Amino acid sequence: MKNTTKIFDLFERSLTGPIMTEKDFDMKCVSVGIAKAVKKYDITFDDKHIINQDDALADRVWEAAVEFLAECGVYHQDTSRIIKFSRQEIEDALRDAPSEVRLGNGTDTVVERWRSVDDERPPLNAGSPVGTPIANKYFVPVMQSYIKEPMVDVTTGATLETVGGMEIRTRSALEILAAWEEVQLIKHAAQMAGRPGMPYIGVQMSVSDVGHISAAGRGDYPSGYTHTLGIISELKSNNEIFNKLAHSIMQGGIIDPYANPIYGGLGGGKEGQAVLLTAEMIALSVFFMSACNGSSPTHPVFFNDTTKDLLMYQSLSYQAIARNSHILTNLTLTPVGGPGTKKLLYECVAFGTMCSKSGLTRVLGPRSATGVISGHMTGLEARFHGEVMHAATKIDRVAADKIVKKALSMYEDKMGEHEFGKPFWELYDVEKVTPNKEWLDMYQEVKEEVAGWGLPL
Amino acid sequence: MDNKFEPLADSIRGGDIDAGIAVVRELVAGGTSPLEMFSGCIEPTLNVLGEQFATLDIFLPELMIAGDVVNAIQDEVAPLLKQGDSASITKGKAVVATVYGDLHDIGKNMVSLMMQVNGFEMFDLGVDASPKDLVAKAEAEDADLLCLSGLMMPSMPFMRETIEMARANAKIGNKIKIMVGGGPVTAEWAMENDADGYADDAMGAVKKAYELLGIESMSAAS
Repeated sequence: MKNTTKIFDLFERSLTGPIMTEKDFDMKCVSVGIAKAVKKYDITFDDKHIINQDDALADRVWEAAVEFLAECGVYHQDTSRIIKFSRQEIEDALRDAPSEVRLGNGTDTVVERWRSVDDERPPLNAGSPVGTPIANKYFVPVMQSYIKEPMVDVTTGATLETVGGMEIRTRSALEILAAWEEVQLIKHAAQMAGRPGMPYIGVQMSVSDVGHISAAGRGDYPSGYTHTLGIISELKSNNEIFNKLAHSIMQGGIIDPYANPIYGGLGGGKEGQAVLLTAEMIALSVFFMSACNGSSPTHPVFFNDTTKDLLMYQSLSYQAIARNSHILTNLTLTPVGGPGTKKLLYECVAFGTMCSKSGLTRVLGPRSATGVISGHMTGLEARFHGEVMHAATKIDRVAADKIVKKALSMYEDKMGEHEFGKPFWELYDVEKVTPNKEWLDMYQEVKEEVAGWGLPL
Repeated sequence: MDNKFEPLADSIRGGDIDAGIAVVRELVAGGTSPLEMFSGCIEPTLNVLGEQFATLDIFLPELMIAGDVVNAIQDEVAPLLKQGDSASITKGKAVVATVYGDLHDIGKNMVSLMMQVNGFEMFDLGVDASPKDLVAKAEAEDADLLCLSGLMMPSMPFMRETIEMARANAKIGNKIKIMVGGGPVTAEWAMENDADGYADDAMGAVKKAYELLGIESMSAAS
């Protein structure tokens, strides 16, 4: 399998596509296009289930998304032009897209493969704090706490708060130095955890193209690490993203982009979001030549992705993709609860079960406490999340739906309460990198409770 | 709301610019002043839409098209406004942007739109806005508010620099109110870095803007 889109072709389309203002693209192409697709394909939820049980609905979401994307395209902010691919070109590119990819090196290599809805194999567990800020002195032990967990297959980093004692500034030498420091530290953490070839999704620090191009380079960036880059919501690109992309392609890198639609934004409610999210994953594969295609949809008030509506449309969207293509897909779990809270663990149950039954190939996180509280991250929640995803493969979709509903009932009415929990150093022995009794006891208690609901943990 | 305003409210809710303009012309011909339209219909209708958006009963596209109708109505009635009327229908001028090095725009757009439908004249510099450009725009427009959004930690130094540069500006430094928000930004960060206010979502931004400018009534935020 290979990507059939080519960088020169993509670049040419960005210079020759139809010209439009960004506001018109937002409204006339994205917003109106999604509303039209939702209506035409009768995308409605019955609200009885959180994990989608309706295969025909998933197939309609897929049809709606392909048609929408062919009409809408992807906007290039620097040229004010729309990059367009026809429906036939989209289908051809999807047919040739990778269905598996090797991640990591040596004995730590894993293979990410397409999964079906209800697949008996679990998704890869990319246990990690996913960009949550951390003081530099804790970076290595924090990352060790994830990497040493046998349930963790892949990882990605926390965000360093400083470099050389200075606040990091994007598009500056400090960003380049921080990106290099991240790569060096993660390799060190992996070695300290005894898993030197652990696959890594990098570079987290490189907001702009300069850090990415410097640190994700041929010099010292392992071939088994992926090259991650975010596109702009919704369905937008620019020269900086193209710079990253061109660089990573020329490095022979594993292209691992993400697109994060915002609930209630241009795609509207959950019906539109299901179509938009599906279209964005297709766009990553077709337009951005990805090996892997990721997202972390965001709730505009709670900044998480574990509310009922978000769980529902993520399930539907990824089932649509898994049923109609073989592309690799990932989501990032962003719970409201932080380490040392039961809320976080219940959110892991809801999200992990949904992902496991909906065809995801890899799941990142948990990005605990919505990923914004410095130091609020531990490897134990990634262990638990991995155990949930494994256990969910052993029950059917109907039973899994009941588990998700039960888990949701444990935190749904407390979504607005900021239970951010405790920082790593209050829940772990930092020297030994082991969880303390308080956190382990809570983990064990919730595990037994959830097993009692019927999830075979 | 007076029954005579129902068709105008419908046009705003439905995003129908042509219908909105037609109704406004009829109302003007019948002797209704622009100020009556704003206080009796447009402001309360937008407030309700703002409340619905805050609770996610409606979504960004509905709010955007309502904003477009109101913009068109403002253009239509502008020649009819007496001196001082504009000030009565505008709560204040605000410059808004995502700061340098950060390309996240949807959260910022939600704030901008919510402020617009709640009566502010918005000057949106988009994303990746440099401290220099932000302060220059605030000075040029004699803005009351500067609203800064940022979701990436490496962009936060530029948020602080914008605040410092605005405070040092001889024309606006003493009067402009500065609000900040976005993922890694907190109320504590705002205080430590000399911002006047912090909000963590679009409705919160409107409430904070009212508070900072000493505007008393705000039915949408009640």
